[in-house]
Amino acid sequence: MIERLARILSTVVWVVVAFAVTASILWVSGYSVTEVFSGAVQGAVTAVGAFVSTIRWTIPLFLIALGVTIGFRAGFFNIGGQGQFYVGACAALVVSLGWRAGPAWLVISAGMAAAVAAGAAWSLIPGYLRVRFGTDEVLTTLMMSFIGALVLQYLTAGPMRNPQGTGQTAASERIPDAFRLTGSSGVSAAVLAAAAVAAAAVWLLLERTRFGLSMDLAGRNPTMARWQGINIQKVGLVSFGLAGALAGFAGAVELFGPAARLITGFSPTVGFNAVVVALVGMLSVPGVALSALFFGGLQSAILFLPIVTDVPPPALTLLHGMVALLVTVRLRARRRRASGGPEPVET
Amino acid sequence: MEQVLATTLRAAAPLVYAALAGVFAFRAGIFHLGLEGLMITGAFIAVAAGQAAGSALVGLLAAAAVCMVLSVLFWWVIGPLRADAIIAGLGLTSIGLGGTAYALTAIFDTRGTIFTEVVLPRPVRGVTEGWGVVVSESSILVWLMPVFVLASWVVLRRSRFGLRLAAVGEYPFAARSAGVDPSRMRLWALLIAGALCALAGAELSVGALRNFTENMTNGRGFIAFVAVIFGAWHPIGAAAAALFFGLADAVGTQSQINITEAVPREFVLMIPYVLTIAAVWLGGLWRRRSLEASAGYAELRAPDD
Repeated sequence: MIERLARILSTVVWVVVAFAVTASILWVSGYSVTEVFSGAVQGAVTAVGAFVSTIRWTIPLFLIALGVTIGFRAGFFNIGGQGQFYVGACAALVVSLGWRAGPAWLVISAGMAAAVAAGAAWSLIPGYLRVRFGTDEVLTTLMMSFIGALVLQYLTAGPMRNPQGTGQTAASERIPDAFRLTGSSGVSAAVLAAAAVAAAAVWLLLERTRFGLSMDLAGRNPTMARWQGINIQKVGLVSFGLAGALAGFAGAVELFGPAARLITGFSPTVGFNAVVVALVGMLSVPGVALSALFFGGLQSAILFLPIVTDVPPPALTLLHGMVALLVTVRLRARRRRASGGPEPVET
Repeated sequence: MEQVLATTLRAAAPLVYAALAGVFAFRAGIFHLGLEGLMITGAFIAVAAGQAAGSALVGLLAAAAVCMVLSVLFWWVIGPLRADAIIAGLGLTSIGLGGTAYALTAIFDTRGTIFTEVVLPRPVRGVTEGWGVVVSESSILVWLMPVFVLASWVVLRRSRFGLRLAAVGEYPFAARSAGVDPSRMRLWALLIAGALCALAGAELSVGALRNFTENMTNGRGFIAFVAVIFGAWHPIGAAAAALFFGLADAVGTQSQINITEAVPREFVLMIPYVLTIAAVWLGGLWRRRSLEASAGYAELRAPDD
């Protein structure tokens, strides 16, 4: 209990430090910190439509971060959420543009299923290499992310390109309106319910099942877990598969929800931000929900800020970086490297 | 042909410097995912300071200084503060990308691009025919590449410092027993890596071009990291891998013009990543086999590994 409180405290402290450093950078460069702060509160909560926009940005972060949580809990550094998210969105796009005449409920279900399968497959390639051959998953998931971004670029610039598009960045055709789950706000009862079901399922899996416990044990101490008869390979494959499935699902929700079409390189940092969200949420489902809401609010705030002040939006990337730099401080990394890379920093 | 070679060299130069940076960090046992952030910072400072001082060389030195300061920060977080190097490295990358884009607006009051008149020296200029095309208009940093690669090799493989660094990376406990301070060695490695990343960034902004653009590194820091792995964390291997990726980039650029119908550009650009997954996979297999063959290895490893 004390240990848990200490972890919460240390996480909160380092997030506050990251905010303070970013705020002082804003201050030094001549922006009014109070103005930015009140603008951020307006943009995230109080302004018209602000809270809806916060939720819109929370949902993808939350879903991907749930996947990251599963991976990290089982001791696998699956940081490929970005690519899994992209291929999920791409799969849903291919289904819904390829079957425009289909009944909406069927196309949406098929698109979701394709997205989940594509995301899981994208994650299982590094996952299989990791559990079968001990290939380092940090590298391979990172590589799969880059490949996923190129798949998206290929689809939006090639076969799925909107021929009427005039913009410089390639974009796909829009999916038929009948397939949309939300308006452009990106929030509707269906989407919220889907996120809630995913969250409840992950929570049950991690906290209330034997399998969740064996994941935790494998993450904490693989040797002991193996001695207790846990099949580490199975745990690994399932955790990689589920992480990819959740990220792929997030991609489908993005397409059927707010986006309606895919643009090359959309939400380019959501996968990495989700890792930050998962770590700030301390790898527990309620914690991740809170931290996703918080970072979703920040995203919404930063889009709103230009209305009230002239702070450049990249300030948000800077802040994310600061949080990532500091959030794992003193949190003893539960991680051993596979053979193929150097040992973690040990001092 | 000459044109492809020229494009290859131009595309490879920043990758080579950043890959050398990655090799130094890797030798010290650090997976340096902050290369991208340091590169973009170097690119920005080289333009901003170079423009202010009216000399690209001054800009280059300033870039190196700033990148080394950031490297000390990175070292402090992952060393004494014991943060996770992977996450902190990705954080450093975000800080670099976000910070430079932010500074572009905060200092120069613009979004997108700033131009500059300063440029690094270009020893050979204005050749338009024959093999001279390959090096024509290349900045001094392109010419100095072999020097840096060989110097890195000498330092890492033939000097006391390099051997100590390798000891720290491979088995910090043994290094400490032998009286080497792993923490201090890592600081040195990261400082060198920071300076090399600054060179990589400066080559992009004031070497090959005369501007700084938001996100102009465009993932090159990660490709360089890939080159480190692909080149088996050997300076010459990593440089060769970087040149190969430069070639892939050049061919990708060409195929955009010539054979788009046959092979879409995106698939050519995937080659480095796919090859790296294969290399890491096969490298791990090979390594495991050779390690299993060597006696006494088991004593050095945790029982579960």
